[in-house]
Amino acid sequence: MNNKIGLLKLFWIFFKIGLLLFGGGYAILPFLKSEMVDKEKICTMEELTDFYALSQCFPGLVAGNVSMFTGYKARGTLGAIAAVSGVCLPAFLSIVIIFSFLSAITHYPIVQNIFSMLDIAVCVLIFMTIIELWGFSVFDKFSAFIFVLALSCAILNVSPFIIVISSGMLGLIRHFLFPKEKTPCASCVLDEKKQGGEDV
Amino acid sequence: MYNTLILAWEYMKIGAVAIGGGYTVVPFLYYLVEKYKWFNVSEITQMIAVSNLTPGPLGINMATFVGIKVSGVWGAALTTVAFMIPSVIIICSLSKFLKNNKENRYITHIVYGLRPAAVALIAVAGFKIMSTVFFHFDKFKVSHKFFDIISLKALVLLVIFIAIGFKIKKNLVILIVLAIILGLFIKI
Repeated sequence: MNNKIGLLKLFWIFFKIGLLLFGGGYAILPFLKSEMVDKEKICTMEELTDFYALSQCFPGLVAGNVSMFTGYKARGTLGAIAAVSGVCLPAFLSIVIIFSFLSAITHYPIVQNIFSMLDIAVCVLIFMTIIELWGFSVFDKFSAFIFVLALSCAILNVSPFIIVISSGMLGLIRHFLFPKEKTPCASCVLDEKKQGGEDV
Repeated sequence: MYNTLILAWEYMKIGAVAIGGGYTVVPFLYYLVEKYKWFNVSEITQMIAVSNLTPGPLGINMATFVGIKVSGVWGAALTTVAFMIPSVIIICSLSKFLKNNKENRYITHIVYGLRPAAVALIAVAGFKIMSTVFFHFDKFKVSHKFFDIISLKALVLLVIFIAIGFKIKKNLVILIVLAIILGLFIKI
């Protein structure tokens, strides 16, 4: 299984994947499958779906995290760094290139009109993201409680850092208060994702 | 120089807490606007739209965008790297850890608490964007016509976009492309 792959090659593979990711990194899975599972045989599809689910549970970008997991599987820490720099570099370069062009055209009325149209589309994108995250984020009474609490704090302009950190604490506190209660574990999410992952 | 370092530091903190991908960063952008006024609120939706059209993870696109806006290309590079550092550390140590034991109960519980909060934050950010797009109180103050408060045209378009969004589900970039085409022909 674990045949060695050069760091430079790893970087190049992820650079190509990074170029193909439009509309955010959520669509990375099929590309990773064809490159890392089918071609290079670094990991299995099962492992890949695990990585993908885990990536959503930890800080950072989903695409970046899943790249690091697979990179780590291939070549350890250096592999992870090669993979993540490969996947992120196209994103960085494209914004650097587009930025100067963009600031030259934004004052035209037609461009501004396009941007107000885009605002509406962005609302829909965010709405769809919420729906997607909702299923495995808010699924029982306590998570609903955290949701409402975080929502009201956010409306009252509490710093998002404070909200995120204290919600993590609340999750821990729940564990100590009700140690016997069946825990909504990452593996439940994993199983759910595995079932969902098959149609990817 | 001072701004660059502050931004990199703020972005490193964001990288350490933003769970679940690019859109989780959006509420923190509002936080940055309020605290430092480096850019304004309408530019946030612009960043999201452009980031959707360019290759790569959304969060990286946005980090570069913010960085370049505040302090040029080098600032952008620094911001992007700073943004990734926490997750590189976390994922690498986690990979090492997962080799030995499959799951840690404490991590599970922290994550359990974090996710609903992330959803709530995104929801509020989405609402902020919506309120600037659909409600025009400033226009109402001038004209005193009730129908100037809500942009009906925008609402109709929103409904159409949502319908299309539910239809295609994956590959939502199509929505962005569609919005650009519509923006060329329909005055909003």
